[in-house]
Amino acid sequence: MTNLVEIKEHKDKARMTPIEVFPDPKTALVLTYQHTGATNTPLVSVGDTVVIGQKIADSKERVSAPVHSPISGKVVKIGDIYNSCYAECSEAIWIENDGKKTKDKTLTPISESELSTTSNDVLLKRIREAGIIGLGGAGFPTSVKLSVPKDKPIKNLIVNAAEGEPYDTADERLMIEKTENLVRGVRVIRKILGNPKVIVATKISKVEAALKLQEAFGKEPDTEVVIKHLTYQQGDASVLQKAILKYETPPGKRSYEMGTIVQNVATINAIANAVYDGEPLISRVTTLNGDVPEPKNLLVKIGTPISNILTQYNIDTNDIRQVIVGGVMMGNAIQTIEAPVTKRTSSLIVLSKSKYKPDQPTTPCIHCSKCISSCPVRLHPILIYNAIMKGDIAKAEKLWVKDCIACGTCSYVCPSRLPLSGIICASRH
Amino acid sequence: MSNESTSELVVKSAPHITGTMSKNRLMQYTFVALLAITIVTAILWWPVMCPTDAQISSLTLTNIWQLPLGAIVLINALVAIGVAVGIDALFYKVVSDSELNTWSSAVFGLIVTLSFSLGIPSMANATDVMPIDTLTAPMAFVYVALISLIGLVLFKKMQGIAGRKFVNPAAAAKFLVLIPFIGSVFLTPDHFAAYDPATGTGLGVPHLAGPLGGGSAAIGTNGAASFLTYLQSCFANPAATNTPDLNSLMILEKFHGWTGGACSIAVIIAGIALFVVARKYVKWKITLAYFASIAVMSLIFATAYADTDLTTRLLFEIFIGSSIFLGFFMATDPATTPLTNIGQIIFGVGLGILTILIQTYMNFFGGALLALLIMNLTVPLLDRVGIHKPFGR
Repeated sequence: MTNLVEIKEHKDKARMTPIEVFPDPKTALVLTYQHTGATNTPLVSVGDTVVIGQKIADSKERVSAPVHSPISGKVVKIGDIYNSCYAECSEAIWIENDGKKTKDKTLTPISESELSTTSNDVLLKRIREAGIIGLGGAGFPTSVKLSVPKDKPIKNLIVNAAEGEPYDTADERLMIEKTENLVRGVRVIRKILGNPKVIVATKISKVEAALKLQEAFGKEPDTEVVIKHLTYQQGDASVLQKAILKYETPPGKRSYEMGTIVQNVATINAIANAVYDGEPLISRVTTLNGDVPEPKNLLVKIGTPISNILTQYNIDTNDIRQVIVGGVMMGNAIQTIEAPVTKRTSSLIVLSKSKYKPDQPTTPCIHCSKCISSCPVRLHPILIYNAIMKGDIAKAEKLWVKDCIACGTCSYVCPSRLPLSGIICASRH
Repeated sequence: MSNESTSELVVKSAPHITGTMSKNRLMQYTFVALLAITIVTAILWWPVMCPTDAQISSLTLTNIWQLPLGAIVLINALVAIGVAVGIDALFYKVVSDSELNTWSSAVFGLIVTLSFSLGIPSMANATDVMPIDTLTAPMAFVYVALISLIGLVLFKKMQGIAGRKFVNPAAAAKFLVLIPFIGSVFLTPDHFAAYDPATGTGLGVPHLAGPLGGGSAAIGTNGAASFLTYLQSCFANPAATNTPDLNSLMILEKFHGWTGGACSIAVIIAGIALFVVARKYVKWKITLAYFASIAVMSLIFATAYADTDLTTRLLFEIFIGSSIFLGFFMATDPATTPLTNIGQIIFGVGLGILTILIQTYMNFFGGALLALLIMNLTVPLLDRVGIHKPFGR
């Protein structure tokens, strides 16, 4: 019934660009709250010396994930800075780099041969202590997601290798360059979930990545690599699950209740690093794309100010109109380029003033009904929008406003350029 | 550095890119499709003088200009577009918060042109009730200008202020302006009778609520000898001597009636081309449901009234200029049609059924216009049906 709308990928050059290690920042700004769930409190104070991988903020709540110092040095400030995860300012820890690269050794590597004899509790604790959250954008603590009740057997583990956001290629490069690490990471998750069937789902347009995945995962037991045409919207976990397994998870139900867990490749890579290398989540791959001289895929320390990256690659900061963090369809246009990279910074898309073409202004709805026919979760965006604009929140709720996955397709297709997605998402806060 | 660049960054909600389709582009595509139909009609109608020399001598016509029928179409288009675009620009200048809708107004102008009836049929006679002067120059220009004016001001701008368009502006304006003629032509009973030269009454219009004859078979109690004869005297080139068959009349060329319906095949090609180019932004389900319901209704009526064949009524109902043009280009007007899939299908089916009922029992040929206005009014209700459940519920 829904027509999934094709959105141009803009990935041709970026997907051919190998991951480059970005130099450590002189000062790292580590936001204490980067996940979805309870807020963290700092474990360090100004003046403290910290080392690479040292836990610097945590919470006692179950749905939380700690953050770690990406560099070694001294805590110089604790204060607020713009947080691109939430599009508002929140607490961060400023760490001045001492250049010594001293490492914290709290997390000991677990070798592959030890995996089968390691208990699930140890593995889940490791994932939590490494601060791993959903790196596809949701930011939900992974240890909580993988703590499935015993009476809910998991039949399928879907590896989300679809990376739907236009311009973004960080996941794709991981698939190409860290294929073996992904295989090792999946083994950890399979162990935790009791050996479900593994389905690696990727797009046909990711030719090189798809071939690598097929080769590496082809040798694994009970594993299938599905390479098919997937649209942008099918990068969403629930929509991808529908595309692969043909059933829909009712909103509000956790996906494990239906016997399926969907895990993004970047998260799986982080799990492998945490388990086998004892490395907490202090860096990630992010794509620098848009109006830039050369697109880049960067292995960057979390806490690196975005301005560092822009100046490193000769991007004229006076010509920047927007910097979008986390994808042009769902990400946030940040207020300041001093904001740091977070665990959820899957990409930095620069849109320049000089290449900006003014779009047509917003005009009244023409009732074309395109937003309705293209909503991947079958909502009625224009009716919800009208209800919200009238202040009739009860009606918006009756139209299932809470089921919106914020994919932005309705705004994308609207010929009147109504900010459907923006208004609908804002109303849910 | 930070403060300066901070204040300059544009912060807005996601998504940060938009699709290629805009309201203006949709209007441009529609304009091109309508323009193609206008040009095909003008070319098809160019060789026919309106009125013909024979009509000038046989009919007592006053204040009528003899022009190529195709030229009248083009002048109509210029007049209608000129009035619509001009008034829109005037509103933009005078009313502070009015927006400039040049393309939308141009599309409206062409719809006014193409939904206007032109051409004096060979069945016309000097004293009958048919308002011959509305069918040709110069009065056609006046009426088209009037429809364009009233449609734009009353039904586009005023409804726009109301926040919702309740009726199709072109259809409503045409109906309002031409209601005296519609009443005199279709709602008076004597046009069923055979033409009586002595009294000047009767049009010999066949009654659709009766058996229709194909070929040369007689039709029930109707005035004309056969339905085909009626169609020929109504739609065939009044200057030509040959008598075209039913198929070529209905599908290829009609020389009387809705300008936009002169060449059914051109409408179908332009309509489908628009569906393809402006893919999924045009409510094609309405068109499909409309013609499907007309076809089914025609076959039911043909059987019920024991027509001599099943296709005559079917071809007439589908390819009469009002149905074929309205089905593709007016019934799909986004603003005055339902949002949901089921709403659109109900709308199309209802439109088809109403069209057939109006044409059959009110003898208002071109009844699709009235049917559309009635169905337009049901849209606020239809928008409440077909609200489907979201993903996983």
